[in-house]
Amino acid sequence: MAKNKVSFKLKSKLCELDNLCEQVERFGKSNGLSSKCIFEANLALDELFTNIISYGFNDKKEHIIEITIALKNNTLVFHIEDDGIPFNPTEADAPDMECTIEDCKIGGLGIYLAKNLMDEVCYQRCNEKNILTLKKNIDEAEPVKKRVKG
Amino acid sequence: MEIIEESQGGINIFKLNGRLDSNTSQGFEKKLFQAIDDGSKSMIIDFKDLEYISSAGLRVILKATKALKREDGKMLLCDMQDYVKEVFEIAGFDSFLPIVGSMDDALQAF
Repeated sequence: MAKNKVSFKLKSKLCELDNLCEQVERFGKSNGLSSKCIFEANLALDELFTNIISYGFNDKKEHIIEITIALKNNTLVFHIEDDGIPFNPTEADAPDMECTIEDCKIGGLGIYLAKNLMDEVCYQRCNEKNILTLKKNIDEAEPVKKRVKG
Repeated sequence: MEIIEESQGGINIFKLNGRLDSNTSQGFEKKLFQAIDDGSKSMIIDFKDLEYISSAGLRVILKATKALKREDGKMLLCDMQDYVKEVFEIAGFDSFLPIVGSMDDALQAF
């Protein structure tokens, strides 16, 4: 039977991306999500996870990032929790989308992609932890993707 | 991710297979820049078997394209799967990176 909620913990290491991908795929397949939806969920979580472990910790210690994926009434809800330095990705600057190849800066692109692939992104700082809640509607008739600012 | 390197008529071809993310992008960057250091001016990246790309992958391709351009070289990207292409589009990279349909189209562009 499909489980419509799954929680797992990842260590603050890049090689955990494979684990993350596996978890998202297993959840997606057992809940009958489209491969496009699984791809997009994967990409958004990858970008946010990579961002946390690349910039979120000032020490060399190993940290745990906790992720929950749930499916409720055609909405995918993701929680990402980490004990890194306070960082609110919803306030991060968007990259300049009108740039040419010479002046194109890549900073902020990952967060920009993640925001674009989700319908809602919420940030809370609670008990010394960053808590991100992402929502993605999975209605069959998906609206045409539009580029969002910010 | 697997990277197969081939050479055809002086063009370096990189065939990617698997996932290009922050875990695998460094190895790919090394291979691209090794080729640029070795004097390669014409490159094709074959995306046919690439099932996934993140911003880390986009970053490497942008960096290599810039480096090649400085050397008067050129890089073409071909045969992308729809989801992968969508990532280039959301990032706005499709407006300045040469993405073509097939390997034949890419070879003919040189």
